[in-house]
This record gives sequence, structure tokens and C-alpha cells, in this order.
Amino acid sequence: MSEVSGDTWSPGEAGGRGDEWIPLRRPSDIAAELSAGERRGLGRKRGPDPSDGTPVDAPHLAWPDGFAVEPEDRSALLVLLGLASLTPRRLLELAAERGGAAACLDAVRAGDAGSDADHSHARSIDPVGVAERMAAAGARLVAVGEPEYPPALLDLFDPPAGLFVAGDRLEGLEPSVAIVGARRCSEAGRDLAVSLAGALVRAGLWVVSGGARGIDGAAHRGALDAGGSTVAVLGSGVDVAYPAENRRLFEEIRGRGALVSEYPPGTRAEPFRFPARNRIVAALAQAVVVVEGAEGSGSMITAEHAMEVGRDVFAIPGAVTSPLSFAPHTLIRDGAGLITGPNDLLSDLGLSEPTGPDGAGTGSGSGSNDAVEALGPLERAVWDALVAPAAADVLARTVEQPVSRVMGALVGLEMRSMVRQVGGRYERRPGPWGTRR
Amino acid sequence: MYGRVFGVAVIGVQGPLVKVEAHVGRGLPSLTVSGLPGTGVLDGRERVRPAVESAGLEWPLRRVVVNLSPANVRKEGPGFDLPIAMGVLAASAQVPARRLAGFAFAGELSLKGDLVRTHGILAAAMAAAAGGLEGVVVPEANASEAALVEGLTVVGAPSLGAVVGFVRGTWEPAEPPAGPAPADAPAGIDLSDVLGQWAARRALEVAAAGGHNVLMVGPPGAGKTMLARRLPTVLPAMTRQEALEVTRLHSVAGLLGSGGLVEARPFRAPHHSISQAGLLGGGTGSIRPGEVSLAHNGVLFLDEVTEFRRDAVEGLRQPLEDGRVVVARAIGAVEFPARFALVAAANPCPCGFEGDPRRRCLCLPHRAQAYRQRLSGPLLDRVDLQLHVPRLTRGELLGSESGEPSGAVRARVEGARARQRARLAGTGWTCNGQMSGAFARREARLSTDAEGTISAAVESLALSGRGFDRMLKVARTIADLEGSDRVEGIHMGEALGFRTLWQAEAVASVG
Repeated sequence: MSEVSGDTWSPGEAGGRGDEWIPLRRPSDIAAELSAGERRGLGRKRGPDPSDGTPVDAPHLAWPDGFAVEPEDRSALLVLLGLASLTPRRLLELAAERGGAAACLDAVRAGDAGSDADHSHARSIDPVGVAERMAAAGARLVAVGEPEYPPALLDLFDPPAGLFVAGDRLEGLEPSVAIVGARRCSEAGRDLAVSLAGALVRAGLWVVSGGARGIDGAAHRGALDAGGSTVAVLGSGVDVAYPAENRRLFEEIRGRGALVSEYPPGTRAEPFRFPARNRIVAALAQAVVVVEGAEGSGSMITAEHAMEVGRDVFAIPGAVTSPLSFAPHTLIRDGAGLITGPNDLLSDLGLSEPTGPDGAGTGSGSGSNDAVEALGPLERAVWDALVAPAAADVLARTVEQPVSRVMGALVGLEMRSMVRQVGGRYERRPGPWGTRR
Repeated sequence: MYGRVFGVAVIGVQGPLVKVEAHVGRGLPSLTVSGLPGTGVLDGRERVRPAVESAGLEWPLRRVVVNLSPANVRKEGPGFDLPIAMGVLAASAQVPARRLAGFAFAGELSLKGDLVRTHGILAAAMAAAAGGLEGVVVPEANASEAALVEGLTVVGAPSLGAVVGFVRGTWEPAEPPAGPAPADAPAGIDLSDVLGQWAARRALEVAAAGGHNVLMVGPPGAGKTMLARRLPTVLPAMTRQEALEVTRLHSVAGLLGSGGLVEARPFRAPHHSISQAGLLGGGTGSIRPGEVSLAHNGVLFLDEVTEFRRDAVEGLRQPLEDGRVVVARAIGAVEFPARFALVAAANPCPCGFEGDPRRRCLCLPHRAQAYRQRLSGPLLDRVDLQLHVPRLTRGELLGSESGEPSGAVRARVEGARARQRARLAGTGWTCNGQMSGAFARREARLSTDAEGTISAAVESLALSGRGFDRMLKVARTIADLEGSDRVEGIHMGEALGFRTLWQAEAVASVG
């Protein structure tokens, strides 16, 4: 990452936004440049939605002033945000042409924009009904141009015209860091997300994520448990708990942080909404950390969006044999910052003095040195042998002790919360990181 | 024209003696059986007359009534062919009544008059001995089985003709064969066959020593079945009494091969599609012992335990608690012994790859959760040892030695069992796995170190009350294995390595 954004980053300094950002180049980009003979910035591999018909080098459009200020414009926006065919980019183009939201809605109703289905849909949606549903969900509309609308979103090629927000005001959002990753993550990944989020919160940052199960949920949980605030950007309406297992988590986030969605309340979770949601996660934060992700993971999409809008991307490496390491390793090869734990992240963000690498692979790793020093000889030997997840018999062979004794030692380490068992293999748990801040 | 002989009605594994009375009187030729005969007995009516005639004897062409007394017990099985035939022959004065009185008769007849192998002969012989009779007359193929009952004259006859000859004093049976050498454990089954998996081996050793039940959770191919099959080989050898119990059950179920005493502890691995009746016992007509009883004094292995029918698995609670199972049917309740070591195995999640470092688990969390919850809680409460069995990679297996042979482990197990019997003398229990929680809490003899360890575990490992009791018992067994009178901290530490898996995970995965 150092090529462009520098080794340090401090909150509040919007890491090269808008025209100022200089694209990062990844090995894969350089290869593409060499073959195509062109030099282009990072992260356009996906490009704007091709079905959009928008050329890659589309002009940077801005929302017209007063797009959604007047009451009729705001109520028109409530309708416009519910139209599936009217992507944010198309709405942006329409607004650049027509001006206010009410004029845009008239254009849709007249059949000048949007799909045929949406022409009639636009005529049938009652803005009063949407407003009532919004009130029932305890949400409010934050339209572009309002002071609460996060300016960071304007870096996007297709910024949302408005957000439905339930919870705290978004002005307090900066600085923030996004933590994203696999939905089907490992226990270790979940722990990492929790401790990363906790460290960020203790450093005074907000944590942004996507509200999904797995790493996302763990990041939110870690932020809340550390007494911080967190923003969950949902791919459904803010009153739709998806996944259902996160219902309680979402309720807590309403109280400390915010639930955010560009879709009106009541919108069901549908697969196509999640990649779109990821761009908001990426743009809202000043940096994105990818914890785990298999091939084809949505966290790759988030990371690419982040690079497009000039956010720093960090990734936590894992075992090369683990399928969940695919996304982080690909990103690291492409130039993402390699971090092994919260200390790395905080120092890379310029929030703390470098304290040397942390992470389970080195030295005392997890568990403060005191805890390691306090271990009995066999526990210590087992701990030292646990450089990678291992079955009890394999450990017994390494430390040359009977398996019965080694199991006792492992239980002792489990009781000290230094080790955990996953599917018959024991692994070190991330230690009390906060103590070394 | 009256005759009377003894038969045996095998009910469950019990066999009350039955008086088979026959009366030959005036009327059209017919054979009527009264006295609550089951369908199997009625079926024999058609066989008896041809068999008698094939033996060169005369079937009385008169009205024949056979009564089975006492009449309040339903009689089942083909074993009544022979006593009915003998009763009729006695009633028609073709055999002398004198020698009939001291013997019970059991066996199925063929139309040719041969006696064919019959189920439940050992139970019948035991009933005859209990009834104070001199001996039994049984098919030759079952003679070695009946000969297991001490102090009983066993007449193994090849045919009805030979039986008649015996009663008339013109034919004597050969000495019943000593029976073929008892079938040993299936060849090649030994704990030393298992590569690596030291933790699982140790779990088997502890389970065998303390009579604990085991749950193994691991992906397909981890070796759960291979390990379970080897548990019988480390259990102490059966006493003669235990072997007789097993042999009798297997005799009733018709599983006894060439006869003789079953000396290897049984290993039963029913498929998960088994019905409740198949698992616990039942069936129409005669009530057959279920898999739990066929595993009596041995091992019942339930692979894919989450896939078993819920009613079947719930029904395991009684045998796990009491060591017996009572099968109630309209015709009455039957009790079978069913004291077995349960080994249950399950995949960690529906796809089987949770926790596998190289394969990604594709199960949604709530599906995996639902899968775990399919395992009945009351059943889990009776499984003291629970462990993960990981599928070892080739790298992990590299350099693993195959461990001790079963015999070495069994020697330690027998030592531990002897200590338990001595300590538990007078309680009615013989091993730690049978102790009640309250008794274990009172009598486990923890060192202060062990006490500190388990108290800490209640806090830091979220050990439940039931889990606490189970850990006490397991730690007690580990101490017994080491010949230690006190449960030390190291014993408790190891026991905690086998604590509840799935409930702990359920707690951890919240949030």
C-alpha cells in the first residue's frame, strides 16, 4: 500500500478523496496494463454495471443542489428509492438532467426512465405509506445534500440518493474502519474480528460492516462489547432482520450506532442487493480490513470498491492451505496491507506507535507474556508446540508425553482461555490484545 | 387315552415349563390345540402328523385334543412340535409314560420326522433345570447349546424316531459334543490396528475401565467405526455367567451359529433406519430381543446417531439406566437384559467437514445447530465421555506408530475394574459408570487439587451440573486406571478433556 497512501494514516484525513486520489496499482493491474498497453487505475476490473451502458470513463456527476430539499422532492425520493430498475447511477444521471427528485419521479412516471414495470410501480407507490412504514421502523431518510449525508459516499461512481437510517446520527461516523469477511468463517476468524473491532473502538473509531453472519456480525459484536458504536449497512430494509440470527444484534446497534440501508423499510433481502450494499460499506469507512474470505467471497467486492474510491485495504493472512485464506492472500498479493492483529492495524493507521508485529505465529503471540510465564512446564511445552492447530495426539508426539497428560495440559490452557478446541484440533486463541496498546 | 409331557414356552429369555396334555378320543380325525397357542404353535399342527407317520409310527385316526397348561400364558414358537408329537404318542400308548416325566422336550419337526435347529433351546434347557427336571430332549444341532446348563442330561436327537427310541430305551444319544472351540474375536480386530488417534484410544480405555458410554464426533473417514469395533477387545473377558446370558439371548434370537458358548463380547451396529421394535425388542407374534439386548454385555454402536429415529433413541434411556428393557405388548410385558456400553458417533455438522482445516464446511449455522439438537439431550446426559475425532491428514499420520495391542490395555482395564468392584461392594454397582451423581459426589475422593480444577472448570468451561457429575465419574475411573486411591488434579484435567462437546459449543456460538 505504501506506494500511494503512505505508511501512516490518521483519522479525519480522508485518504485522498475525489480528484486527489492516485490509483494504486496491483500486480494484476500491471499485467493488464502491459498486455493492453494502457495505464489505468486500480479496481476497475468490475467497472460500472455493464448493463448500465455507461462508458467506463463516464463523467464524474454530482447531485444537483436542492435535489431533495423541498417536501415534494423528499416524498418523491421515497418512491424513487423503491424502484429496482432505477439504479443509483441512473438516478444520478436523471437528476443531472432534470434537477429535483420530484422532476425525476415525473420523468419515470411519464415513461422516460426506468423499466416498464417501474413506470406503473412509480405511479402506484404511495409516498405517505413509505413514510409511515419508515416511522414505524424508527428510521429516517437522509437525502443527499443534507448535513447528515456522509460526504464520503460521494466518492462512489454511483452514490445513493438517500439512506434510510435507524439509530445515531451519521455525522459522528468518522473516523471509521470497515471489517468484512466470510459469512462461514472459522472460530479464529470470528475471534480476530471481535478483537480488531474492540481495538478500533478503544482507539476512538467506529466500526462499519455489512450485518451479515460470520465476520460481519463478529465485528459489530466486538465493537459493541468494547463499548463502541458501529454501523451496519444492510442489503434489506432497516426493519428486516436478515439473517434472522442477528435480530438482537441489530436491535443493539440501533441503540449504539446505526442501521443503514439505501432500500426503503420493508425491502426483503435479495442476492443482488448485497454487492451493492458492499460499495457503501467500502465508501463509508476510511479503511477496509478483510479477515477471511473464500474464492468468490463478497469481501473481495468490498475490497475492490474500497480501492476504487481510494480507501486503504488491509488483509489478515491465514494458512495457505485454508480455503478461507483465498481473499486475504489475493488482496495481499495485489498490494493490500498485511496485518496480523490490532496492533499492526492501529500502527498502520497511525493511531499508535509501532509495537512490532503481533499475531499468533510469533513468539509469545496470543496471551500476554505474563500468562505464558505462569504456565506449568508441561502446559508451557504444549503451548510452545501449538504453533499451528494440532490434534492432541500430534501434540503428545511433539512434546513426547503421554496423551493423557497432554489432554490435561490442554484443558488447563483452555481454562485460561489461551487455547480452544475446534473439531478435535487445538489452536491458540488470540490473546488480550488491548493490554499492549 | 391320555398322555402328558413337558414343553417350554420361551417368553423373552424366561421359559416357564408347560404341561402338554394330549387326549385321543372318539370323533372324526382331527387335531385341536387349546391353551393359548400362538400362531407358531398352531402352525405346527400340520407338521406333527406327517412327522409321526414318517417315523414309522401311527397317527391315531381319532379326535385328538392337545392342551397347553397353564392356559394363561401365550405359547410361541416351533419348539412345541416335538412335545405335541410325544404327547400324542403317549396318549395313543405308543411310548411308555415312565421315562417321559423327567424330561422336557423342545424342537421343530420336519415332515420327514427330522428334528431341525430351533431358536431358544438354551432358554428351554435353563427352564428345565430350574423346574427340577432330569434332562431335556432337543434337536441334535442344539445339543451343545443345551449342554451349557450344568447338571442337566441333554439328549440331542436327530429325529423323532430317535426320541421315541430313547423313551422306549432302545436308543441312546451320543455324548453331546463339547461344542466347537468358542468363536474368538473376529480375526485381526485389535487396538493396535489403529494408526494414531491416541486421544480416542485413551477414551476407549477409560470407557472400558469405568463402563462409561462414549460419543465420538468427527468427519467421515476419521476412523470412528474402526475405533468403536475395538472397544469389545479391551473390555474384560466375560464371566461364565455373563457369557451364558449372552448365549441365551442370542439363542432366543436365533443368532447362535454352531452352538456353544458365546465368549467374545458382542458388538452390534444397527443401521440408523432401524425401528423402535428392532432396537429395543418387540415384533408381532413372539417378542424378539432388540439390538440393545443382543448387545448385552457388549457394545452397541450407533453410527450417525443423529439420523436414528427419535422414538428409537429416546427408548434407550431405560436400558441405559436399568440395564434391562421391558417390552410391553397386548399379550403381556416381556423383559430382556440389556446392559451394554453405548458408543455413539456423529458427524460434526450435516456436511461433516466442520473444523477440517482443508475442507470448508458448507453448513449454515442454524442448520448445523439443528443437526446437533437432533441428538437427544437425555441420551447425552448418559454419555460420560465425549470427544472429537479429527480426520488426520497424511502429514499428521506421518510417524504415528500403531499403539499397544488390546491385551495390554485390557490388563489395565481389568485392574481398574477390580478396584471399582472392591470400592463399590455393597452398592449394587460394579463400575463407576453406573454410580449415581450423588454417590459420585460423596465418594469420588478428590484431592484438593482436583477439587480446585473442577471448580475452576465450572466457571471457565461453563460445566453444567450434570457435566460436573459425569466428570467426577470419569476422573474417578482415570484414577482407578492409575491405581490411585485419590483423584488427583491431573486425573481431573484429563477427564475434562472428554467433557460435553455440543452443549458447550451451543453456548459459545451465541452472538
